[in-house]
Amino acid sequence: MTVTRSVTDPIHVKDVFRSYGDVAAIDGVTMTVPQGALLGLIGPSGSGKTTLIRMLTGTLMPTSGQIHVLGEAPHNFQRSTRERIGYVPQDFVLYPDLTASENVAFVASLFGMFWWRRRKRVREVLELLDLWQVRDRLARNLSGGMRRRLELACGLVHEPAVLFIDEPTAGVDPLLSREIWEEFRRLRETCTLLVTTQSVEEAELCDHVAVLHRGRVIALDTPEALRHGIWGGEIVELITERPVDAQALSTVPGIARIRQTGPRTIVLVADDAGAASPRLVDAVRAQGSGIVSVEPYQPSFGEVFAAIVERSEHERPADEAA
Amino acid sequence: MRSLAKAFTRITAVMLKELRELARRPGAIASLMLGPLVVVALFGLGYSGTRRAFDAVIVVPADVGYPADIEAYRQVGTGMIRVVRITPDAEDARRLMRNGEARLVIVLPSDLRARLEHGEQASLVVEWNEMDPLQAGIAQATAVGLVQEVNRQLLKSALTSLGIETVSIGSPGVKIPAEVVASPLKLEARNMAPAQPTFVTFFAPAILALVLQHLAITLTALSMIRERTSGAMDLFRVSPVHGLELLVGKYLAYGVLTLLIAGFLVAMLTMSLGVPLVGERLALVGLVLLLTFASLGLGLLISLIANSERHAVQLAMLVLLAAMFFSGFVLPVEEFREPIKYLAYAMPVTYGVALFQDEMLRGGGGTPAWYAAALLAIGVVLFALTALRLRATMRATA
Repeated sequence: MTVTRSVTDPIHVKDVFRSYGDVAAIDGVTMTVPQGALLGLIGPSGSGKTTLIRMLTGTLMPTSGQIHVLGEAPHNFQRSTRERIGYVPQDFVLYPDLTASENVAFVASLFGMFWWRRRKRVREVLELLDLWQVRDRLARNLSGGMRRRLELACGLVHEPAVLFIDEPTAGVDPLLSREIWEEFRRLRETCTLLVTTQSVEEAELCDHVAVLHRGRVIALDTPEALRHGIWGGEIVELITERPVDAQALSTVPGIARIRQTGPRTIVLVADDAGAASPRLVDAVRAQGSGIVSVEPYQPSFGEVFAAIVERSEHERPADEAA
Repeated sequence: MRSLAKAFTRITAVMLKELRELARRPGAIASLMLGPLVVVALFGLGYSGTRRAFDAVIVVPADVGYPADIEAYRQVGTGMIRVVRITPDAEDARRLMRNGEARLVIVLPSDLRARLEHGEQASLVVEWNEMDPLQAGIAQATAVGLVQEVNRQLLKSALTSLGIETVSIGSPGVKIPAEVVASPLKLEARNMAPAQPTFVTFFAPAILALVLQHLAITLTALSMIRERTSGAMDLFRVSPVHGLELLVGKYLAYGVLTLLIAGFLVAMLTMSLGVPLVGERLALVGLVLLLTFASLGLGLLISLIANSERHAVQLAMLVLLAAMFFSGFVLPVEEFREPIKYLAYAMPVTYGVALFQDEMLRGGGGTPAWYAAALLAIGVVLFALTALRLRATMRATA
């Protein structure tokens, strides 16, 4: 994920603001999405995800700033450019009185696909999403999961270069959610994806994650880098045989932060967990306790997200004062 | 060329989508097609068209010499009056009328002879108690007819009572019977219309126009609102589809559907109910298309105003109600006052009713030439308005 724009980057956003009256929905977003990336736009409801998607798809003008998608400003997209963009809206409920294949074929036609290519692609995309068996079933008779997959099929049928998907897993069970995200990962081979979600756990499945909070991108990186970056190092969980003085371990070289999470459990942030572990063992033994385990600790992305938001909240008053 | 082919693909897709959606709701289609037909059929079968005679009480003053027997008055009113009671008391007669036992009170003059002897007219008082303006009008006409008939009878009786059987007028030797003197003209009436009117034949084309307008308005208004509320409009705005392609696709779909329904209804009206089709079929097809074109525009206009399906249905019903009153369906448009007349002329169905009745019952040529042009103009204006509005909707929101 970069901020510097390359000519091949399909999505480039620079200093974009969007306000509704006095309320800033998007507050100075800058980001670039490289080709073939899966970017997860994560944030709570009302954080500005849908507003940003609407600006990227050309249905909403930014109040200020620059947006380029496939090299063009979205509100001035050429028709040929629109043909290369896929969009699965949050609320699109398909046409209940059309069959699965008719729904997909209709969307394909809207994007200007001729019948011979359309026929082939409808089959391909329905097979890809495991819907070929129910192609003649009316959309209203499909299960919730099938409908979500069908919406995705509609977004994919015209082989877009960039695909925007707004909250694809809202109200979907975890198993199907996982399947849908696996599908997104497969699609990276052919297109660039920008997916919004409220589920912090889904962020881990993205190549890159942009955390949106109060209209600002407060973090933008790979999930691993975000996890590493938010605490400033690798995290180690230490379990001792007897309670020890956790603060005494802060003198161990290479340890950045320490948090006591239980009577015998300590979570430490180390610059290099491998190098710090033997020194930690020695320091614990020096306090007369044995070691039960020393293991790398993988915080959930929920914890990472909470930490990112917390940090942003601390930084915000300073920004506003400046 | 390629972009034209793509536009064709999009328009066809929208059209087929609309038709498929409608075809998947056979119940709705059946009620749309058969509903109006059943209404017309029930109207045709149930309405006799024969006017009910006015039940009348005749007030016969005592001691004047009028017959007091009800049988003597059976022939009064040429079938439009049925005498139910004879009474000498006018107040009693009026009470009967207020109670609904009679609809007319006829008061014979008590001073007939005295008036005539003084060379003055006597009054035959006829009273009615009708709230329905149509029935009040018929009562008025019946009263006028009654006076003329009684005058004729009186003249004939007077001549006969004087022993005059014939009257000499003009050339010597030409004798005119007293009956002819009393009534020198007899009516020979002919309706020169190509089809003899009945209530069913007269109202069937108007109902057809009304149904087609209502159908077109309801279907398009609901279709556009559904696109908006289902989120499909968001997809359209991102996709390369042009607002005009969406409109043309919808117009074609509903044009085809309305034409099919009109064909079915006309076939059933002519074959089952005996409604004549005097004019050219092709001309009627043209008129159906014109009415549909204008009505679809009205439906799209409603879809732009309404914010939900329920709101759209309410507005469509309001237009239907206005159409019933102002389109010439019940009352002639010419009888409305100036500002209201414009409202009538703003509705496609006003022209539809006149043109359909003219084409089906007369064979065309009986309506002003600008009626069809007005229908086309309404259609073009509404199409342009909705196209501009849709274009603005499809653009990025500032």
